[in-house]
Amino acid sequence: MLKYFTSICLLFVFINGFSQEQKTVKKKIPKDTTSYKTSYGLRLGLDISKPILSLISDSYSGFEIVGDYRISKRFFIAAELGYEEKTTSEDYTNSTSKGSYTRLGFNFNAYENWLDMNNEITLGYRYGFSLFDQTLNSYTPNVNGQYFPSNTITTPQTTNGLNAHWSEFIVGIKVETFKNLFVGISGSYKILMSVKDPENFKSLYSPGFNRIFESNTGFGFNYTVSYLIPFIKK
Amino acid sequence: MKKNILFIFLVSFIISACEKDDFCVINPVTPNLVLRFYDDINRETLKNVDDFYVWAEGKDTIFKNVSTDSIYIPLNNLSTETVYNLSTGNIVNKFTIRYIPKEEYVSRSCGFRMVFNDVTFAPNLSTWIKDFTPNSLTVIDNQNSAHVKIFH
Repeated sequence: MLKYFTSICLLFVFINGFSQEQKTVKKKIPKDTTSYKTSYGLRLGLDISKPILSLISDSYSGFEIVGDYRISKRFFIAAELGYEEKTTSEDYTNSTSKGSYTRLGFNFNAYENWLDMNNEITLGYRYGFSLFDQTLNSYTPNVNGQYFPSNTITTPQTTNGLNAHWSEFIVGIKVETFKNLFVGISGSYKILMSVKDPENFKSLYSPGFNRIFESNTGFGFNYTVSYLIPFIKK
Repeated sequence: MKKNILFIFLVSFIISACEKDDFCVINPVTPNLVLRFYDDINRETLKNVDDFYVWAEGKDTIFKNVSTDSIYIPLNNLSTETVYNLSTGNIVNKFTIRYIPKEEYVSRSCGFRMVFNDVTFAPNLSTWIKDFTPNSLTVIDNQNSAHVKIFH
């Protein structure tokens, strides 16, 4: 065994060698002269998940208009505008947030379209801002046990003029179903930058941001139908 | 490929950001009153109370025939006064606690708790309780340590 020791060591030796590379003559490939033009313009639409949720759920109502404007091959300026009202029921509190919000930012289309297709894999960023009121409808002080039970207080307490600022990262897809009509799904991850809380309470839900988690993060979901008003073709 | 990596990165980011604030893990949320019992002569030594019964005025017994040197008892959040009966060997001592209850928001899952401000203690010193300290507390907002030392 020992006499092969050196040989075994040699097994683990790397040698990286190269000689002169042959110069490759770059052939000029004749350019494809057929180019597919795509439409540039303003795209306006609705988040249709919100009206549907409003119909199904007693504790939610909302409405959102979405829009984007194409500025280059891959970049879009995007904005959303909406109104939401949501009642949050927790074990010891029941509160309602209502107000309006706006989100501004851009989308990047990461999808390489074939021919004249016009679909998108969207990566986006938004800055979000909301103005809302929160009403503490009722609450029960959390006293452990039933020896001295607490009363449920049902006098609503409303705090007006609350606001929230956040950053949002979006991943989604958009598909052109009919000419200029787009259907899209997207999900978003939100990071709260600042929120104004009511006195001796907390903003549990902000319109546009949805539920505010303990770590000041949130999630969103959009299902949009939008129509492109083409201005020019490039 | 770059797209995939970005997508995986985002998904893992979203999943790792999930958390639980659905369950209230603080126990207890509203602080109880903690009493510790010390020897009247050797004031540093804890001394058990034997044959110990504890009940609030007009309520069920919380502690029944126990032998202990420390108890915690809830305070009535709907009143500014709780009267406890501390009984050992059939000698009942009324222990009155006066305070101002105040609601304080804790978290989504725990809701509001009660804290007790301007707390004063008034035990009956003519029976088995010989002395106590302190007479008053500015606030009871936790039960990490004894609020009242009772000497007997």
